Amino acid sequence: MESKLIDHLFRYHSGKMVSVLTRIFGLAHLEIIEDAVQDTFIKASISWRTKQPDNPEAWLTQAAKNRVLDIFRKLNTEKKHLPNIAYGSNAIAINELFLDTEIEDAQLRMIFTACHPKLDPRDRISFALKTVSGFSIKEISSALLTKEDSIKKRLTRARKAIQKSQLKFQIPQGELLPQRLESVMEVLYLIFNEGFHSNKEETLIRKELCGEAMRLCKILLKNKHTRTPEAYALFALMCFHSARIEAKTNAKNELLDLKNQDRSQWHFPLIKLGHTMMEKAVDTPTFSCYHYEAAIAAEHLYARRFEDTNWDKILHWYECINAIQPMPTHLLTMAVVCLQNKDAKKSKTYLDQIKPDDFAQRAYLYYGTLSDYHAATNNFHEAIKHIDNAINVVNNKFEKSYLKKKKSKLISTKN
Amino acid sequence: MMIFIGADYTDLGLSPEELQNRMGKWFSWNDKMEKAGILRGGNALTPAIRRVVGANRTVTDLTSAEVKEIVGGYYIVETTDFDAVQKIAEDFPDYDLGGTVEIREIMVFDR
Repeated sequence: MESKLIDHLFRYHSGKMVSVLTRIFGLAHLEIIEDAVQDTFIKASISWRTKQPDNPEAWLTQAAKNRVLDIFRKLNTEKKHLPNIAYGSNAIAINELFLDTEIEDAQLRMIFTACHPKLDPRDRISFALKTVSGFSIKEISSALLTKEDSIKKRLTRARKAIQKSQLKFQIPQGELLPQRLESVMEVLYLIFNEGFHSNKEETLIRKELCGEAMRLCKILLKNKHTRTPEAYALFALMCFHSARIEAKTNAKNELLDLKNQDRSQWHFPLIKLGHTMMEKAVDTPTFSCYHYEAAIAAEHLYARRFEDTNWDKILHWYECINAIQPMPTHLLTMAVVCLQNKDAKKSKTYLDQIKPDDFAQRAYLYYGTLSDYHAATNNFHEAIKHIDNAINVVNNKFEKSYLKKKKSKLISTKN
Repeated sequence: MMIFIGADYTDLGLSPEELQNRMGKWFSWNDKMEKAGILRGGNALTPAIRRVVGANRTVTDLTSAEVKEIVGGYYIVETTDFDAVQKIAEDFPDYDLGGTVEIREIMVFDR
């Protein structure tokens, strides 16, 4: 068997099988279900060593169906609550739930469950990665840069919340849907960002996170109730960012900023897909943050060289975002954009609206930008003062050495 | 004959992705031996072991708890000598899980 053909087969099937089995047995039996799915993969990984099946997906589905019957027996002997399926028509009902459209439906239900407001926001991502995406605790912990123990706690807490609130395994309808969909998109956005904005170790897993977020977003786009302009915009945004992912680091896995990226490495098919998605996304009178973020990401892609970047347009999109979701980081970014655009005066108007406290541990970003502003207006004394402030409050040693380099440059320009 | 002793996948809590990667390694090892035309058969074994020991015929029912004692499977290969099998055994996928390969020669009796 071509190993490429079954790329990520287990991971994707894991989410599918957990979702379908949960639909059959209910969320109360989630742990048994997860164990059962794990068993199926172990069985496959051993039995396929010497005899590889012609159709691995069908093999796994069949194995999952068999596990359903095992679980029935297990629950029966343990005298737990039996799932609400009439016995005579069991076989038919189960078979129907394994149809492709039903599998997608089950996965969508699982995504909505994982992003339920009754779950602690911090637990949602971990829980989604475990149940929908088949990540192990170890993988989640390295993907989210969190200790394995904390991930375990989060998962337990999420399961308990589900039990306690007796969550229904369903896609919300009517008035509830837009609100719940918003929380789903937020989680997908966060999963994507975890993958995109880091050059820490385990790069493979981090790219996986981006891929997972896109896969889950695609599930939203397949269902007519969740296929909204915002969801299209979110997917477009992910496409545009992903198109640049290979160019973001060099061979030594060091982060490259936009200025220094090799633009020939950008992935054209993803850019094209992003545009197609964007066309569908703009079919709405009101735009969301995702629309504007996608627009900004696209603007960067339009520029063939860094120097060609249309900063005016980017500034405009940021103003739009800040209008619907005012945040100090947006103002700071706008100040940076103005400096790129050689408009120090306008930059100052944004800087005047924010203060270092707005950024907590990331106050160095504020000081760094302030320093840039003073350097741009040839006030090197002030520029050095603020870069010193930045150096004093920064924790990350890479960023510290970056700032120190900047400082020595300032000193040499001043003299 | 190569006998594989070591970790039982059930106990390791491997993620679907890790299991699949591992399986991929087994695939390519298997393919390599098949291409070389030396593979004569093999099987995976379940973790359940029943041992009958000593004069009293004491029966011990080892399962996956004693990870080190699991025989996970075997391959029979036909090569020129021990060294050739040893070379093949270098590709055994589970060394990093603490696995061991034992190589035994199947005795051929002259008629």
